[in-house]
Amino acid sequence: MARYGMVIELDKCTGCRACMVACKVENNTPEGVFWMNLVRYEEGTYPKTVNWFMPRPCNHCDNAPCMAVCPTKPKSRYRRANGLLATDADTCIGCRYCEKACPYGVNFFHPEDPKKNNYLDWGDKDLQKATNGASPPYKNPIFDTKVGKEQRKIAGSNHRPKVVDKCTFCVHRVEKSLQPACADTCPTSAITFGDLDELTSDINKIIQRKKAFRYLEKAGTKPKVYYVGGMRPGSESREIEKVQRKKT
Amino acid sequence: MLSLSKTTGYAIAAMSCLDGPDGRPVSVHDVAACTSISHSYLSKIIQTLANKNLVKTKRGYTGGLLLMHPPEEITLHEVVVAIEGDEWIGKCLLRLEGCNSACPTQAFWDEERSRIENELPRTCNNRRFAMKIKRRTFLKGSAGIAGGGALASLFSKGPRTLMAAAAEGGGSALKEEVVPTTCWIGKQDCGMLAKKINGRVVKFEGHPDNPKNRGKLCPKGQAQIMAVYDPNRVKTPLIRTNGKGIPGKWRQASWDEALGLVADKIKDVRKRDKRLLIWQKGRSKAKKFYDTAFVKASGATKLHHGAYCSDAGYRALEYTIGMHAVLHPDFRHCNYLLAWGWNTTGAGGNKTCWLTWPQQLVEAKERGLKMVSLDPRSRGTAHFADEWVPIRPGTDLAFALALSNQLIAKGFVDEGYLIKHTNSPYLVKEDGFFLKVDGKEAVWDTAQNKAVPFDAKDAKPALDWAFTADGKKVKTAFRKFKEHVASATPDWAAKICGVNADQIRKISNDLGENSKIGATKVVDGVELPYRPVGVMAYHMAQQEMGFQAIRAMVQVFMLLGAIEAVGGVRSDWKWKLHKGYKSLDKAKVKSPPYNVYLKNSKFFPINSNLSGMVAKAMLDPKKYGVDYVPEVMIIHMANPLGSFCSTPEFMASYKKFKFIAAIDPWISETNDMFADVILPAATIEKYEGPISASEPYNSADTLRIPPMKPLYDSRGDIQIYMDLCEKTGILFGKKGYLAQVNKALKLKGKYALPLDRKPTEREIFDRWAKAQGLKEGVKFYEMKGVRVKGPVKANKSYGFAAKPPFNGIKHRLYGESLLRIQKEMKAKGAEDIYYRDYTPLPTWRTRTLDKSPSKYDLYLMSYHLIEYKQARTSFVPLLAELAPEQWLDVNPKTAKAKGLKEGDMVWVESQNAITGETRKVKVKVAIKQGIRPDVVAMPHHFGGWTYQWQRDRGPNSNNLFFTGEGYVTNTADQSFQVKVRVFKA
Repeated sequence: MARYGMVIELDKCTGCRACMVACKVENNTPEGVFWMNLVRYEEGTYPKTVNWFMPRPCNHCDNAPCMAVCPTKPKSRYRRANGLLATDADTCIGCRYCEKACPYGVNFFHPEDPKKNNYLDWGDKDLQKATNGASPPYKNPIFDTKVGKEQRKIAGSNHRPKVVDKCTFCVHRVEKSLQPACADTCPTSAITFGDLDELTSDINKIIQRKKAFRYLEKAGTKPKVYYVGGMRPGSESREIEKVQRKKT
Repeated sequence: MLSLSKTTGYAIAAMSCLDGPDGRPVSVHDVAACTSISHSYLSKIIQTLANKNLVKTKRGYTGGLLLMHPPEEITLHEVVVAIEGDEWIGKCLLRLEGCNSACPTQAFWDEERSRIENELPRTCNNRRFAMKIKRRTFLKGSAGIAGGGALASLFSKGPRTLMAAAAEGGGSALKEEVVPTTCWIGKQDCGMLAKKINGRVVKFEGHPDNPKNRGKLCPKGQAQIMAVYDPNRVKTPLIRTNGKGIPGKWRQASWDEALGLVADKIKDVRKRDKRLLIWQKGRSKAKKFYDTAFVKASGATKLHHGAYCSDAGYRALEYTIGMHAVLHPDFRHCNYLLAWGWNTTGAGGNKTCWLTWPQQLVEAKERGLKMVSLDPRSRGTAHFADEWVPIRPGTDLAFALALSNQLIAKGFVDEGYLIKHTNSPYLVKEDGFFLKVDGKEAVWDTAQNKAVPFDAKDAKPALDWAFTADGKKVKTAFRKFKEHVASATPDWAAKICGVNADQIRKISNDLGENSKIGATKVVDGVELPYRPVGVMAYHMAQQEMGFQAIRAMVQVFMLLGAIEAVGGVRSDWKWKLHKGYKSLDKAKVKSPPYNVYLKNSKFFPINSNLSGMVAKAMLDPKKYGVDYVPEVMIIHMANPLGSFCSTPEFMASYKKFKFIAAIDPWISETNDMFADVILPAATIEKYEGPISASEPYNSADTLRIPPMKPLYDSRGDIQIYMDLCEKTGILFGKKGYLAQVNKALKLKGKYALPLDRKPTEREIFDRWAKAQGLKEGVKFYEMKGVRVKGPVKANKSYGFAAKPPFNGIKHRLYGESLLRIQKEMKAKGAEDIYYRDYTPLPTWRTRTLDKSPSKYDLYLMSYHLIEYKQARTSFVPLLAELAPEQWLDVNPKTAKAKGLKEGDMVWVESQNAITGETRKVKVKVAIKQGIRPDVVAMPHHFGGWTYQWQRDRGPNSNNLFFTGEGYVTNTADQSFQVKVRVFKA
C-alpha cells in the first residue's frame, strides 16, 4: 500500500498563496481557517536581505502526536491505509487534544456553526435560487458523503460545530488519483505529491536530487512533508505579511 | 476475472498524450517523458497500437505520433483489446476452463464482467479525460490501471465518460461535468476548467492545454468563484436617486428603463458634439467589441489606462525599435538577466502577466540563469536573484547611462549590429539634426572617405567618427552618444542611484562578458545572433522621464546587439513592425484647440493618454487649450477613484460630467460617488473574446465560455453594448455597431453578421470560429476551451530573422525627431517643464520630487501584491483575507531614527514640489529589512469603502501621488514616486 507524502521545492516557490486559496475553495473551509498555510519570511539585515516562502500543510506524520492523544474509540484522528491522517467529523468530540499535541499548528477547531462563518451572507434569496441553498455556494456535495473503504466522513471542512479539522491532503481527490488541490494549482509546480514508498516516484526523485529537510523533524514526529531547495526557518526568520487567521 | 496488464496502462497513458488526427504530432521522445515509460518499451507499444489502427505515425521533421481517430471516438475497449486480445476479460482466476458454479467469486465476477463489457465500449478516451490523465493525476495512468485501483473502481460505477467517472465520488450519484472557460478576474485570461457538480460550479482549475498557464492558477484565479456568487453584486440595473459626489442611493430599474436613460444621454451629446462622449476603460477583455466596435460606432473618445500602466514604455519601444511592447527577456536562451524593477512574485509583464513569467523564470533558473534584481525592495524579486541592488526609486535612467558608459569604455560594443541596424552611423550636425546627402541621412563612408547617403551601395559606414566640414563639427550619432555618456561614470550614477559604484562596474562587466558579442545560434534551422543577456523591465516607465528611462535601458542592450537576438531582449512574441515607429517620428505639435487628453498638443505631443491629465484639462480647459468639457462618460470595468493616482483631481473633475454610466458587477467607489446608472455586467458567466492564449514560444487562442447563466439580472458585456447601441439607434446599418464588429473580427461573406438583426453573443462567436476555419464553430471552444496552434518558429518570432532583418528599419539610438518636437514645442510657446525631456539622447536631470523641502526626507513608492490585480480583485473576500490590511514598509534604521515600532500608526504626508500641496494618510508601520532606508512603500488595492471586506482596512496609496506638471512628464508619463515625511499619528 502507498505511503503518501509531499515534497515542496522552496527554490521554486514564489509565495503567491494560490495553494492556500485552492485549498480553501476545494475543501470549503470557513473564514480564517487555512489548512494550507504559506508563511512568508524575511531574514538578514539590509542590504543583505533574503525573502523566502514556506507552504505548510499538515505533515501527516508517521509518528503523529495528534493521533496518539485522540481519546475517542475508535479514534477520530486515525491513519488511513495509504498513510494519510484523517479526522472523522462524525465521531470527533471536539476535545482539542490534537490541536494541543500538534507542534505544527495545523488543527482548526470550529467553536460555532461553521456555516455562519463563511465570508458573506450566502442566505441571500436571489443567490439561493441559483445554488439551491448551498453554503458556501461553491460547496462540494461530496463532503456530505462517506469516503474510502472505511466509509467515514473524513473529506472537506464545514461539517458541524465543535469539531476539529485539518488538511486531509484532499483525501476525496486522492481517492480518485487526483493530486491535492494545492499541488494541482501551484503555478511553478513547487509542490509534488506522491508515494514515498515508490522509489521511482517523482517525489522521491526530487528528494534525492536536492538536499531535503523536514520541518521540526527533531520533535520526532516523522513528518511526511519534505522541503528541498531552501532552508529551515530559524530564530532569524521573521514572518511578514500574515494572513487574517481565525483566533480560536 | 480482470487481468489488465501494465502494458495496457502504458498504452492508455501514451494515447492520452496524443492529439487527434488533425492535431499536432508529438514525438515518441516527448510521450516517453510525459508518461515516464522507457523509450524502447514505448516504441513497442506504439507499434502495436499502430498495427491496430489506433495511432498513426508521421515521418519527417515535423512528424510524430497522432491518434488515428478523434479522441472522443476511441473507446477504452478498443485500447484494451488491442493490447490484451479479445479474451482479456474471460480468463479464470483459478485457471479453470470455463466457469464453475462452485466458484465462490462467480456471482461477483459475472456481475462485474457484464458491467465492464457494457461500459467499456461506450467509454471514450475523451479529450478532457486525456488532459486529466496527462497532467493532473499523480498516479501514473498505468499504475492506476494495472494496480486494479482507479480504473477498476471507475468501471463499477457505470460512468458515461471516464472524465465524469474520474471526477465522481465513491459511489455517490453526483453528476459532474467540466466546462472549459477563461479566467476573468485578472489580467492575462488564463485557461480554466469550471468543475460543475449537479449543475453548480464548485471550483475553477487551470486548463492544462492553455500555454499561458499550463493547468495552473494564481490565488486570484482560484478565489474568483466567490466573486461570481457574491450576493453583493449589482443584481439589477441601478439608477441614482441622490446627488453626486456623495455616497450613492439607488433604486432598482428594469434594463429597458436604464438602457433608455443612458441611450438618451448618448443620443443627445452625439447630436451636438461627439467629443462630449467619453469611454473610459479599465481592463478590456474583448477589445474588438468594446475598444474598437463600440468606440467607433458611438464616436466616443477612448481613455485607457495610459501611463498608469506601462504606456510610456510602449511609446519608447515603438519609437526606438519599432515594437509595440516593453522589455522582456528570451527566457529559453537567456543566461544573465537584469530584473529591473520586475516584481517577480507580485506582477508580470506586457502580454503575459503573472504566472507565465514566473513559470518561465523558474525553468530558466533551473537551467542556470543568473539574475540581478534592481529594486528598492527585496521582497518582489530577490528570492530568485543572485544579487540584489537596492536602487533609489526613479533613478534608473542614470543607472542605464552608467552601464552604457562602462560597456563603451570596456569595448563591449556590437559594431556590426549598430552599423547595420541602427542610426548610430548617421552623421549629426552641431545643431543636433542629421546631415543629409541627396535628401537622405548621411553616413561617413570609410572606403571613399566622404559622406554618402545611408543606403549608398557598398558604403562602409564609420561608427565612431567625427570630422569638420565648413568649420562645423559633424559626428556620428554613436560618437554623440559616447560623448553623452562619458560623464555618466559609475561614481556619478552611484550617487544618484544610491548604490555602490563597484556594483555598476560589476554588472556592466557581467553584462558584457555574458553577451557573447559576435556569437550566433541556430534556432529552428535559422542562424541568428546569440546574445544571452536580457532585461525584464515592464513597469519601469512609471516614473518621471519614464519614456526616456526605457530608452536608456534599450540603448544598453543596443550596444550589446541584444535587441531581438537569441537570448537577448525580446519585446514581443512575433516580430511585427508597429506603426508607431513612423507615426511617433512624425508626431506633430499643433496649435490649440486640443482634444481633452491633449493629443499632439504643445504639452504632451507624444501622448500616452493619461486620465489624470484629462482631469486637469477638464478642471482648467483654458490653460490647456481645450475648447470643450466632456459631458457624458461610460466607465467600463474600471474604478478610477481607486486605481488612478491623484484621487483628489478625479473627485473634482468627475463632478463636471453631467452623466456617468458604469458597466460593472459592483458598486465601486467611483460608481458610489458619481455613477448615474449602473448596468450590471456578468462576471465570468458570459461569452467574451477572442482571447490570446499565447506565450512567447507557443501560439494559441481561446474564448470565455459561460459555465453558467448570468447570475441575478446581469448581462454579458457584449450583450449590454448591443442592447445599448440598439436603444441609441447605432446597432444596425453600415456604420452601426454590428458592422463595426464585422470589421473588427474580420467577419466577411457568409460569416458576416446581418446588419439588420441583433445576434446572440454565441452566434457571433460561432461565426467567428467558423471564419477561423473551425468547422465546429464555437462548439470547438465549448468542448476544448483552447486552440493550440503550436510553437512560434524562430523565423516568425525574432526580428533578426525577418527579411530584411527588422523589415529594414534602423533602430533609433539617436532620437532626432525628439529634438525636432522640442523645437516645435518651444515655437508654440510651451514651457520648459513640458519640453525639457524631448532630447535626442536620454538625459538625466534633477527630478521634480527632489525639489520638495528637506523635511520630506523619504521617497514613497507603491507596488503590487500578488493577491490583487485590477480593481475587481478588491471585491473578493478570499483575497482580502490573505492581505487583510494596508501597511507602510519601513527600514528598521529609519524606524529607529523616527521612533517607530512595528504596528505603530503613522501619518504619511506627501508634498508636491511644484504646487506646494500636501496630502496625508494614516497607515500602520510594517518594519522590513528588505527596503532602502530612504524609501517607504505601500502596496495598492486598499482604501475602498463600498465593499464590506474593503472598509477600514487602511488607505489607498494613490491619494498620495500627484498628477499634473512635474509628476506627469515627457509623453504624459505618470510618476509613482513622491517625497513624503512620516510621523506618529
